[in-house]
Amino acid sequence: MTDTNTISAGADQKLKEAYFTASQGQLIWSRFKKQKAAMAGAWVLLILILSGLFAPFLTPYSPTLSGRDKDYQNGAPQIPILWDENGFSARPFIYTYERERSFKTNFRWVSTINRDKRRYMTLFPKGEKYTLFGISFERHLFGVDKGKIHIFGTDSTGKDIFSRTLHAINTSLAVGTIGVAIAFVMALIIGGISGYYGGWIDSVLQMITDAIRTVPAIPLFMAIAAFIPSEWSSEERFFFISIVLGFINWPTLARRVRTHLLTERNQEYVLAAQLCGASANHIIRKHLLPSFTSYIIVDLVISFPYMVLSETALSFIGLGLRDPVNSLGVMLQNVTNADVLLNYQWYFIPVIFFIALVLAFVFVGDGLRDAADPYGDTKK
Amino acid sequence: MLQFARFALVRGLLAVLTLLIVSFIVFTLMEFVPGDCAERYVAFKNTQGSNITIADIEAERVRLGLDKPYLQRWGVWIYNAFQGDFGDSCILRVNIALLLGQKFWISLGICLSSLVLAYLIALPVGIISATSNSPVLNNSLRLISYLGLALPNFLLALMIMLISTILFGDSLTGLFSAEYRDAPWSVDRMKDFLSRAWLPVFILAWSATAFAIQTVRALMSDEVDKLYVTAAKARGVIGRKLLWRYPARHALGPIVNSLGFDLNRIFNELPIIAVILTLTDAGALLIEALARSNDQQLAGAIIFLLTGSIVTLNFLTDILLAVVDPRVRSSIVK
Repeated sequence: MTDTNTISAGADQKLKEAYFTASQGQLIWSRFKKQKAAMAGAWVLLILILSGLFAPFLTPYSPTLSGRDKDYQNGAPQIPILWDENGFSARPFIYTYERERSFKTNFRWVSTINRDKRRYMTLFPKGEKYTLFGISFERHLFGVDKGKIHIFGTDSTGKDIFSRTLHAINTSLAVGTIGVAIAFVMALIIGGISGYYGGWIDSVLQMITDAIRTVPAIPLFMAIAAFIPSEWSSEERFFFISIVLGFINWPTLARRVRTHLLTERNQEYVLAAQLCGASANHIIRKHLLPSFTSYIIVDLVISFPYMVLSETALSFIGLGLRDPVNSLGVMLQNVTNADVLLNYQWYFIPVIFFIALVLAFVFVGDGLRDAADPYGDTKK
Repeated sequence: MLQFARFALVRGLLAVLTLLIVSFIVFTLMEFVPGDCAERYVAFKNTQGSNITIADIEAERVRLGLDKPYLQRWGVWIYNAFQGDFGDSCILRVNIALLLGQKFWISLGICLSSLVLAYLIALPVGIISATSNSPVLNNSLRLISYLGLALPNFLLALMIMLISTILFGDSLTGLFSAEYRDAPWSVDRMKDFLSRAWLPVFILAWSATAFAIQTVRALMSDEVDKLYVTAAKARGVIGRKLLWRYPARHALGPIVNSLGFDLNRIFNELPIIAVILTLTDAGALLIEALARSNDQQLAGAIIFLLTGSIVTLNFLTDILLAVVDPRVRSSIVK
């Protein structure tokens, strides 16, 4: 009896010691791990980010016009199956779609499914060349032995929707990252000046920030995006849009930075450090910055999905990115017409991925916020 | 009373100042649009076959007052704007107030109704979820509010269109049916309008509701554990009466304060929803002005009006809060 007691007491002691010597990062991680929803979100996010990064390998064809399938435009998703009335196959296969235009079909293109001609799926087939991290490859994850496979169908020009979806994740992440980075730098500078100097500088800056915050962001954004000359290339548009996103989203962040600085500046630990003779530089680096880096990171994660959503909304109405660039908004540009709504519903498949991406970000952001709150455990 | 009037005056001045800053930003932005109104008008005439020279453009500039210095033009613009006159549209050559008038009020009506709808749902649901311990209820509410964040309104609108087209063969778009589109206002037209306006109202309220539920819930769960609630309980106040009389009143303050930002969020979605549902309101005009015709006068006027209604709402909620909340009142009337 006494033995087990001492052992558990020893284990307790160890746990306590581990708890008190843990770094801020370890503490946050251990609190984060306890939240199931946040962990699930983190896994989904990781998978989506990886599939975005490795999109050229994971998808069989290029998402641009060079990868289009001339013989399968507005084609329905082709789902690989293992058996049909002609027998079982160990390898998943799809049927061959044949397009015909002749006197019989009144000279219109009519496509038929030929159930006797099977296309078998292959692993790591050679396909179009692509470069990943500076090295060029030509093998893709999957393909079919004859013709092409489109598991999410194709759009009106025959581009593979699966390829476009995965590449679009990439675009969204890039837009979000650039936007968040710019918003962060601006917030740090303006919020920092405001919080550090206080007084009338603070009042004036706050007034301007508040005024910008009252303007509805998306109409404002549309007004700025309307300046883009139509002759700009898609890359230029892409960078401009991301930069503008950052420029519009800084006020909320700046306000947080300012509030943190204003409250932390008067904390007793800062006074203590000052009394010990620490320099201003030392106090800012060793005491003030660590006191709110975790909050800033959380804020950045939380504002990420809003960047992605704003970009999607803008591209959707035609003021954001344009066709050669793949993003969800670009892919959804033409879905409101009745033809698509009635006949080509697979245009909506990418939406699922984006809801997953945004939800994952929201879950992770929420989880991080709870985990970064050092008093989260002691509440209630 | 005098102090209260002074408070209202200061708030009013602050609101006007905010509007001035906003108008300056909007005006500057519109100034950056490549080409000005004179060039655009003259270019239009060019397409009609008349020959245009540089001198014509200059003359048109003088006529429109575009040769005056920048700050002076801003002053004139803002002076007229406060009187409800935004000048003529660059492309359509119609007075903007005339062009926009009814459409803007329709938009504002739709947005305010969605705000009301959002809080009609969010207040009871938020309060119930903050006070109940049922994990099923709490988790499902959490899921709904997350969906409100992740499924932006325009995707929701697309989904509703998709489903209604498949099920009913009608995409439920537009604000009026064909026979009432240009008819003057009447009881029948109103009925027709209401039978269609519920969809944009619902869609615009979607994410606002999600946000509002989260806010109400967080504020209420902060308040219900406080000592004054326990004290009230000890005195025998229970149930709904307890909730409404004590914690809900405290939680109401920040909610009233944040109404302006909720309206801001709803305005954000307005133009995109207008495009999807082919509404003929101010949102659609804004997109038209920005994306297609580059009509800077019209776009500037709409953005200014949207921001103006947010600032007005902020001002009204400030005053309302001072009237309703004794803590705020006592801080003004010393």
